[in-house]
Amino acid sequence: MTKKLVFVFAVVLCLARAGTVHAQAPADAAPAAAPAAAAISAEDLKAAVKATDRANGDPDGSLTGTANDIAISDAKAGLTLTDVLNQIGANRIGVNFAWTLLCGFLIMFMQAGFAVVEAGLCRAKNANHTMMMNFMVYGVGMLAYFLIGFPLQMGGAGAIANLGGTPVLNSEFTIHLFGKDIGLFGNTGYLLMHHGTYDVAVMVIFLFQMVFMDTTTTIVTGTCCERWKYSAFMVSTMFLGAFTYPIFANWAWGGGWLAMLGSNFGLGHGYADFAGSGVVHSVGGITALACALILGPRIGKFTRDGKPNAIPGHDIMWVLTGCFILAFGWFGFNPGSTLALSGNGGLRAASVAVNTMLAGMTGSFGGILYMWIRYGKPDASMSGNAFLAGLVAITAPSGFVNPVASAIIGLIAGVLVCVSCEFVERVLKVDDPVGAISVHGTNGIWGVIAVGLFSDGRSNYGGSWNGVAGNVTGLFYGDAGQFVAQLMGVATLLGFVFVMSFVFNLFVDWFVGQRVSAKSELAGLDVPEMGAVAYPDFVLRPEPAMAD
Amino acid sequence: MTFVGLAVAFLGFMIAFSSLGLAESTGARMGLVLAGIMVTLVGIMGVIVPAYQKTWIWKR
Repeated sequence: MTKKLVFVFAVVLCLARAGTVHAQAPADAAPAAAPAAAAISAEDLKAAVKATDRANGDPDGSLTGTANDIAISDAKAGLTLTDVLNQIGANRIGVNFAWTLLCGFLIMFMQAGFAVVEAGLCRAKNANHTMMMNFMVYGVGMLAYFLIGFPLQMGGAGAIANLGGTPVLNSEFTIHLFGKDIGLFGNTGYLLMHHGTYDVAVMVIFLFQMVFMDTTTTIVTGTCCERWKYSAFMVSTMFLGAFTYPIFANWAWGGGWLAMLGSNFGLGHGYADFAGSGVVHSVGGITALACALILGPRIGKFTRDGKPNAIPGHDIMWVLTGCFILAFGWFGFNPGSTLALSGNGGLRAASVAVNTMLAGMTGSFGGILYMWIRYGKPDASMSGNAFLAGLVAITAPSGFVNPVASAIIGLIAGVLVCVSCEFVERVLKVDDPVGAISVHGTNGIWGVIAVGLFSDGRSNYGGSWNGVAGNVTGLFYGDAGQFVAQLMGVATLLGFVFVMSFVFNLFVDWFVGQRVSAKSELAGLDVPEMGAVAYPDFVLRPEPAMAD
Repeated sequence: MTFVGLAVAFLGFMIAFSSLGLAESTGARMGLVLAGIMVTLVGIMGVIVPAYQKTWIWKR
């Protein structure tokens, strides 16, 4: 009897492995023939737990979850080997669905982190307005993404094996250039109904990608707070969620031309951005720069000779609490980007999570040390920004680098964000109340470059990345082509995404007007824009006199 | 000047992108992409930012 059970178990394991290999096949591959329905005899099931065995409960859990729980497709035939194999497949994809969905929920909660960080860094008279931008960025961005953004981004992504395949996402608009097909945008999945996209795997990838997009849109609200007209914010966010983000995300993640730099032009594995330093953070930071240029600085931020005045935020408690909420959500952002815990490198999520922790830690150390040495005090808001900078920078490399490299990437990011904030404020004279251009823009680009430098060639996600066999390997480990692919991503972010964002926001400025009136700005935007103050029971102190 | 800056920034992207067709070796492509990034940065920081600074509230 024991021998029989061992034999059946061995057969099941062998066939399960065959199923795993099949899951990596391209979308248009014909489905494998179903395995022969070998009946499992009543003898085999004699040892299975019976309902009566649980009459006294199951305090140690040893009787719960047995052969009795396997779904039987044909009651007459009883439990068959096909039933067992189907259950194994369903379990694998179920684990991956649960992981990806839960990580998506964690990322959604990052909206709360962004909201309190940004509100804490603005003055109390603008707190309601800043919170309301962060509140509605979720709905406005999601609507745009649902209507237009998702099909553009993922319509041509092809099958995602870890989610059981999404073969219906198979329409990419391409042009033929330099002898290759250059993918520009996807073209299926409108309203999640178009061409068979009413599909559970598509729903999972939609939810996960939607919360990524929303992170991008919420970056801009921080830079533009305290002077952005609410109506302009809504139109600008709609465009970012519908076009700017999805187009770059398609190029990087949806089978577009950047992802194909490896298979088409021999540049490493193509542009590699594991969880979005470039796709999410740089796109947000660069769009924030474009909007900040158009808006101009807040009244009183600079003296007439261009010297910056400090305008402190109203609640550092919220700022640092928000940083912790964001760091918590980042464990969905980066490890969740494996889209799996079962199969195709899913267990690498553990390494990704540790890399994320380490880079956040070294980032905060780097920022605190820089500020302490330069100004004599460890500045609280810059400590928070350095923490976030480390997390932003590790987002792209987290799936490809080792822990030591993660610590180095985070440390550099922590110092870089301080230098970048000074450069943006003192040289460019751009007013960024929360430092989002430096945290997300500058360090997002640093993260993209870090992939091309530090990837150690030890991360295997099912044997290939972006359709190129082998592991992503950076310049320090011998692949200069990967470094060039990453630089191409940087050139695209700066030269294409910035120009696209700038031109659209110029249109918004012309037709809607981006900036509130000086009177509203001086009064605080809570009443003129939102109709109510955030703290009605408190008496706000008058604006301190600033250097002229 | 804003549109000149935008054109220069976009030109930088086009230089980088054209490296895919103009060059075969990784080194040549790297050179072109880096040149493209530099041109883009000149367009943004050297042209657009100064053009916009003239209009800002503390300059009036």
